[in-house]
Amino acid sequence: MPKFKIHHVTRYNYETPVRDSANQILLFPIQDDFQQVLKQDLHITGEPMVDIYKDFYGNEVGSFMNAEPHLELVIDSKLEVITRGNHEPADDQPAEIQWAELHKIRSQFPYIDFLKQEQFSSLGEVTRIIGEMDLRSLTPYQTGKKLNDYIFTHFQYIKGITSVETTLEEVWNLKAGVCQDFAHLLLVMLRKIEIPARYVSGYVCPNKSGMRGEGATHAWVEAYIPFYGWLGFDPTNNCNVNGMHVRLAVGRSFSNCSPVKGTYKGTSSHTLEVGVSVSYEDGRTSEEPSAVLAAQPKNANGEQENSYRRYMEMIQQQQ
Amino acid sequence: MQTSELLNNYHVDSHTWDEMYLNESVREQYRGVVEFMQRLSIEELNKKEELAKGLFMSQGVTFTVYSSGEGIEKIFPFDIIPRIITATEWKFIEEGIKQRLKALNLFLKDVYNEQFIIQDGIVPAEMIYSCPHYLREMYRFPVPYDIYVHIAGIDLIRNYDGSFYILEDNLRTPSGVSYMLENREITKRLFPDLLPKNNVRAVTEYPNILHRNLVSLSPRRISKPTIVVLSPGIYNSAYFEHTTLARLMGVELVEGRDLVVDNHKVYMKTTAGLHQVDVIYRRVDDEFLDPLMFNGSSMLGVSGIMNAYRKGNVAIVNAIGNGVADDKAIYTYVPQMIRYYLNEEPILKNVPTFQLGHDEQREEVFANMHKMVIKKTNESGGYGMLMGHVASEREMELYKEQILINPRQFIAQPIISLSSSPCYMNGKLVPRRVDLRPYALCGPEGIEIVPGGLTRVALKEGSLVVNSSQGGGSKDTWVLAI
Repeated sequence: MPKFKIHHVTRYNYETPVRDSANQILLFPIQDDFQQVLKQDLHITGEPMVDIYKDFYGNEVGSFMNAEPHLELVIDSKLEVITRGNHEPADDQPAEIQWAELHKIRSQFPYIDFLKQEQFSSLGEVTRIIGEMDLRSLTPYQTGKKLNDYIFTHFQYIKGITSVETTLEEVWNLKAGVCQDFAHLLLVMLRKIEIPARYVSGYVCPNKSGMRGEGATHAWVEAYIPFYGWLGFDPTNNCNVNGMHVRLAVGRSFSNCSPVKGTYKGTSSHTLEVGVSVSYEDGRTSEEPSAVLAAQPKNANGEQENSYRRYMEMIQQQQ
Repeated sequence: MQTSELLNNYHVDSHTWDEMYLNESVREQYRGVVEFMQRLSIEELNKKEELAKGLFMSQGVTFTVYSSGEGIEKIFPFDIIPRIITATEWKFIEEGIKQRLKALNLFLKDVYNEQFIIQDGIVPAEMIYSCPHYLREMYRFPVPYDIYVHIAGIDLIRNYDGSFYILEDNLRTPSGVSYMLENREITKRLFPDLLPKNNVRAVTEYPNILHRNLVSLSPRRISKPTIVVLSPGIYNSAYFEHTTLARLMGVELVEGRDLVVDNHKVYMKTTAGLHQVDVIYRRVDDEFLDPLMFNGSSMLGVSGIMNAYRKGNVAIVNAIGNGVADDKAIYTYVPQMIRYYLNEEPILKNVPTFQLGHDEQREEVFANMHKMVIKKTNESGGYGMLMGHVASEREMELYKEQILINPRQFIAQPIISLSSSPCYMNGKLVPRRVDLRPYALCGPEGIEIVPGGLTRVALKEGSLVVNSSQGGGSKDTWVLAI
């Protein structure tokens, strides 16, 4: 049972004072058989009252406001978490029985919500590619692994070329992106073949093994495997999730899981920096977040004059 | 010309229920009005009509039509002859609407909490989850007194045999009640003695009941809670109504930019500083209400307002997420809801409805398209509708293509002829089709329906579309006490 200490800092700096800010955070790890929070210290500029409730997907959501003029908003979360890996699916039922089970539950709660397909122009091409893979002869678990591998192999991991506003169509054509983009594509492919799939936001804690997504919040996918349950696939690292990922939130897509988002009134000119560091039981620590607070990519078109753009920028991208 | 000739020249279509005439004789409830009119000359009637037009213009009773490119404010056409509903008819309507609203409110509470109706297989999960107005943000959301629908506008029509049918439930931000109030004011000016002589019940209590209900929802137990009407602003089609209701209730009219949320409480910005708001009668759609939770680009809403609502620090009227109950495909299930939740038989009938998401039903509709009216499940105001009996082959083909892209978002109904009511137009008395929208108010004490409503008229000869956005007008609606 690995134990991690995670330090996650989000810092907004505004050029001139802003006011009437309202914010929502999904920074409280899910607690279940595979994950336990030992301790969490959360500090927010001005120490506002944070109200916490459980949303539709079971995530703990915090909200807080600051109506007074302010130049900075820092959200500092220190966590101690224990994770436990899960055994691999036995996958011993014939493929057709498993597919039949998925077909049976497709319009049941909660699976129905995790099958809704996002439309984009190249969806037809995605469908064609999936068709050529002859996935129906595999089991859903093998299908998950294969699609995970497909995305890892066919898409390049490049930071900074996409932002939270980048559409699926753009990512599909770029053939590159970060974990958020990889996760969205895997969602599309799994749902296309009727495997319920949900977006997961969290941290990756690989210690010495080195994985993509360190130093920031990470994103991956959970697929529903018949007679087993939800199983995590991380297409950015081409692996199953097994004790080295800490889950903050699950949802239909990124928009249900954004770790920090907010709105405010005032200047459009602000900077957003995010840093995540992890310390391990063996004493090793990835860099202090203060040292690696990374500026978040701005939206490509440069214009940030209206409140929608400000809102989009306030949402941090997951890498 | 004598006014008696007006009546002699009034010809009713034999396949239509006429509100005034039955077999060439005037119905009991209209006799008082007919006798009064017969004492007037045509000139006098014309003068009354002119006066009515002038009053609407000078009082700025307007609405806005969107489809003509940009917002154009128009005077809402008014016909001087009232539509009259008997005490017996009203009792039936009132009971039917109360029953329906009780069930719809229980349905909303259920789909956002335990979902018994889905578990028991009455309404398929797909139906709910595919509805764009089913807001997962409202799941297990504590709503004061379990009331979701505080204000409802229920559209009724009458078939050729005079029986009433529910056409639509409007449970989000139903509009038109200000026209009900204004129409009565105009009638008082035009025919001062006619109302008391005919034992017409008053509608003036509406703003008082609404205000009393809003006060009763205040989370702070104080003698004078702060209530506001939240409007999207002057470009909204119902801005006239927002100002009217705020004025009649004596409360502030605000826009999103006038409010701010701090520490999970809503405040109004005033010249004397921030002032806490207790109850919001919002006329801003769900999607635009809270940019933090819903549409981030909304300039009409207030960031964080949903968090204040969840904490119980402010009451919002109507509740958020009601669109799942007035979705036109969900409408099909309302009679079953009434049986399921109330163990009663529905008093008011539904119009038979085909769901185009259902393959067999869609085939049937496509084969009989010229006899059908086809609507989008989540549009209102008569936008995006196809009337099969007047549509060209090409229009039908194009519409079919649209349907096939997302069949769940369409329903079809057989064309119901709608009852007719006499209208005074260009010096003649002519029958025009009408519907009826009574307004129901639900508070902690129960449901009240002001005796009256908005009668909308299709002003074009033969037309069955009464929506103001599609060239409809309105009439004062009388409910008789005896």
